[in-house]
Amino acid sequence: MNVLKVSRWTIAAFILPCLIVYVGLVFVPILVSLYSGMLDWNGIGKSTFVGFHNYVKMFTHDSVFWPSVRRTFTLAGFSMLVQVPIALFVAVLITRFVRRPNFLVSSYFLPVILSVAIIGQLWKTIYNPASMGGMINGILTSLGLESWTHSWLTEPKIAIYSIILVSLWQYLGYHILIQFTGIQNIPSEIYEAAKIDGADGFKADRYITLPMVLPILKISIVLSFIGSLQSFDLIMVMTGGGPAHATEVLASHMYNMSFITMKYGYGSAIANVLIAMCLIATVLINALFNRLDKRYS
Amino acid sequence: MSQFASSAGSKPALKVRGRRVSFKTVIAFVFFGILLVTQLYPLLWLLIYSLKTNEEILSGSFFALPAQWQWSNYQGAVEGGNYFRYLGNSLFVTITTMAGVILLSSLAAFAITRFRWKYGQLVMLLFLLGMMIPMQGTLLPLMIIFKNLHILDTHLALILPYMAFQMPIAVFILSGFLRSIPHEIEESAIMDGAGAFRIFRSVILPVSIPPMMTVCILTFINVWNEYILAATFISSEKLKTLPFGVYSFVSQYSVNYGAIGAFLVLAALPVIVVYFLLAEKITKGMVAGAVKG
Repeated sequence: MNVLKVSRWTIAAFILPCLIVYVGLVFVPILVSLYSGMLDWNGIGKSTFVGFHNYVKMFTHDSVFWPSVRRTFTLAGFSMLVQVPIALFVAVLITRFVRRPNFLVSSYFLPVILSVAIIGQLWKTIYNPASMGGMINGILTSLGLESWTHSWLTEPKIAIYSIILVSLWQYLGYHILIQFTGIQNIPSEIYEAAKIDGADGFKADRYITLPMVLPILKISIVLSFIGSLQSFDLIMVMTGGGPAHATEVLASHMYNMSFITMKYGYGSAIANVLIAMCLIATVLINALFNRLDKRYS
Repeated sequence: MSQFASSAGSKPALKVRGRRVSFKTVIAFVFFGILLVTQLYPLLWLLIYSLKTNEEILSGSFFALPAQWQWSNYQGAVEGGNYFRYLGNSLFVTITTMAGVILLSSLAAFAITRFRWKYGQLVMLLFLLGMMIPMQGTLLPLMIIFKNLHILDTHLALILPYMAFQMPIAVFILSGFLRSIPHEIEESAIMDGAGAFRIFRSVILPVSIPPMMTVCILTFINVWNEYILAATFISSEKLKTLPFGVYSFVSQYSVNYGAIGAFLVLAALPVIVVYFLLAEKITKGMVAGAVKG
């Protein structure tokens, strides 16, 4: 029961500054975007109202849209099905084998706190041709595997995977940290009780750690999915969506349409689809995990 | 660690530094080591790279240490790349955003959790909804709005959206904390006739330092590293923040590899120093920030 009875003015003084900034810069732009998504507008001249034409065009006539949606989901898939399971495995191993885990966990975490601008440039340098001092091609050449060398970021078929690798590399530590913390919070009495019943080692992990860590796993999955939907800063830094749209994801398509091609109306429409996808994905993943949760408990 | 002891007893074991270590443990540690190398070696490689001459870099002997450490690369990066200007801008934008987020969200969290009024839950719901909205989605409309307000290409165009997008998580963390402290602590202050502002300042603020630290850390990491908004809303050289500055430097000095490496190291340095000092606080804060879904 809240005890403080205060006048309306006091409430307003406390809540309004925050609420105005927040609503003004998060919700108002979305309303603007919903409207400008129905315009044919280059941002400077006159705009024409075209209704849902932008959306129809996006779904049926845009040769970049569906491939970039597919790439967005590829990125999300790699993150959820490769990165998160590896992170869980590492977290379980650390919990079992390491007495003072802080050093390991915080070292793995280090790439997470660096700006994508730095990480992107660093990996661009790493992916450089051997003749420009690139690390990967250099190693391959010195191992005599010259046929394996590639120009990792300019070959259309490989470029997106090169970027996905960087993204997996950078955020692996984040998921390790999240899941490690989750496992630490499982009360040790449960393991002791299970041991008396004969469940030990990986059996204990299967029947105790996994179900108990589900809520944390959900957080990791939501983060990696939403992160993938949004992630394009890395792509903008490393390739800008090129070569020939080969690394375009939904968000970069939106960016290039809006700020390079100057199709403000069309860009807004893509942005709205992106926002809608984020909301739907969050709701769906939550629902899925609620069902999983019920089945396990 | 009881599992560890039992598995060491039952399996063939070898001795490391006088301790009996099972085969499994050795495998696990080899694995940890490999992962440590993959996570940290690129950063170390960058450091070495940044101290080489162009010839050494292009020769491809990437494991070799530089024959002579080229500190001049750093000199070039600082002089040619406006490093300190970008750093100053990043500091200004980040600190202003942090102060704004802390002040406004703690006021709001206080009102949501401690006042007796009808709409507290509704406001909270509004903030929770905002957590699901991606910042990129608002990029274009914000650009249009800022253009009309004539604040495009000013620091305000960064600080305002940074603040707004940090507010949901800040309000969430702060109000979660405020709910956990008992109402008795402000009851005596009410008896003394203190008003809402005085209670906030002299009762609530002092005890809320730990969650505020968490909010500060989250804001720092997110805002300090933000690239897309900075690259979209800022065009003046003298207003660029560090992540955007990195991009400009690299495109300007594209063939001076050593200097690029040096600039990247310098750009990463502030965050790494902070991380060394506050590693545990930062990892805890980031977990708290993640546990919002």
